[in-house]
Amino acid sequence: MNDWSLLIFTIAIQAAIGSIWMLWMFQFKHKKKTDQEIFQLFKVPLIVIAALSIIGLGASFSHLGTPSNAFNTIRNIGSSWMSREILVTGMFIGIVVVACAWALYRQRISPWLLFGAGLIGLVDVYCMAAIYTNSLVGPWNSIYTFMSFYGTTFILGSVLAGALLTPVLYKQKKDLEAKQFLNIAFIIMLSGVALQVIGVALFPTSMQEINMIGETVETAILASYKGMIASRWIISIVGIALFGYLTISTFKKLYTRLMILTLLLFVMSEGLSRYVFYLLGS
Amino acid sequence: MTQVGFFIDVTKCIGCKTCVISCKDKNDLEVGRNFRRVYSFETGEFPNPRLAHLSISCNHCDKPKCMENCPTTAIYKRKEDGVVLIDHDKCVGCKYCEWNCPYEAPQYSEELGRMTKCDTCIDLRENGEEPVCVTSCPMRAIEFGPIDELRKKHGTNSDIWGLPSSTITKPNLVIKK
Ligand code: SF4
Ligand code: SF4
Repeated sequence: MNDWSLLIFTIAIQAAIGSIWMLWMFQFKHKKKTDQEIFQLFKVPLIVIAALSIIGLGASFSHLGTPSNAFNTIRNIGSSWMSREILVTGMFIGIVVVACAWALYRQRISPWLLFGAGLIGLVDVYCMAAIYTNSLVGPWNSIYTFMSFYGTTFILGSVLAGALLTPVLYKQKKDLEAKQFLNIAFIIMLSGVALQVIGVALFPTSMQEINMIGETVETAILASYKGMIASRWIISIVGIALFGYLTISTFKKLYTRLMILTLLLFVMSEGLSRYVFYLLGS
Repeated sequence: MTQVGFFIDVTKCIGCKTCVISCKDKNDLEVGRNFRRVYSFETGEFPNPRLAHLSISCNHCDKPKCMENCPTTAIYKRKEDGVVLIDHDKCVGCKYCEWNCPYEAPQYSEELGRMTKCDTCIDLRENGEEPVCVTSCPMRAIEFGPIDELRKKHGTNSDIWGLPSSTITKPNLVIKK
């Protein structure tokens, strides 16, 4: 496995994209809140999301053998999904950083910047997946790749935004708002998991054609990663249970810690899932 | 443009890998980086099992998927003879071409941080010589030249069991099986 940089890159950017949407949704739902209130709530989340995007960018650079040639990578927009993805990812990260800087400078949030980043982000997830589905690597060549990538975006986006926003809301004694947001996050997380489950069901287990010389049949590879795939789902289920518990419980004492634990569980399960994804291709 | 290509005679190849070694030597390739590789396939069933050896490098395809997907346009098809080359001033070392060549032709150089591959021994050919894999093969199982001529001489087949379909990239390759 030598694709750690790509694993970190895809996971970080997808989490950032999902959580930008969650922030946008929160401010949309709470239009009555003053600019100052929203700013106070979003300040830390925006900094975290911008940092995450920059970590993703750094990881993607570390994948390149000659990063000094990075500007060349957008020369082939016409036919290369890699080119398109790099351009769109660059735009996403750019807007997120601008949104963060703008917020800190003006002490208010621009919903339009969030919305723009979110939209470009969704296109970006498509481009990221298309890189793999358009390659000749058999196991990547399926609808599963799209569903898995969008699934991760929903899952990590909602859990990350939940972990960033709800503890603050509770501290401000806005229990109802926290609960409402947590419920939405929970539903979005579940839909992300559903996407991935359907994706797995649609995953072609027997490969009809060999596209690359020296390629092994994927059922055989999948079988050898059984343990890893099983633990990924077990961790997901524990995460879902814990998140579900947090949405219904009134127990506040350890709330922040449990929310962070939930986030870590999902980072682990998504990380494992992506790890297997890259193993399948190597 | 006269497109060039390779002819591989699987019926002659004994799998000795002299072509692999002479290519490594000529291009100064470290362990693990091979512009030419020999794949061995077992086919048939008892009582007629068969072991076939197939020597493969870059096939300088008519539809090079490596080139189509390279984000930097570093991969290009040379006008005069259709040889597919990598411009190291442009290559960013993203390795995406590795995922897009059916024949494992692009070989990454850690040292250069860039992708490298068979260039049909351009320097030797400029001096009127043949690629080193061709001249080194003790069985004379590899030929190189204008693909039209090779096809006239040996037919047009470029598929064999174990090799990805030639429809993917339209390789300039003729295989006798
Ligand atoms: S053999 Fe592979 S590297 Fe060579 S031109 Fe065809 S697709 Fe490109
Ligand atoms: S490694 Fe170089 S030649 Fe290959 S796709 Fe990337 S930029 Fe193009």
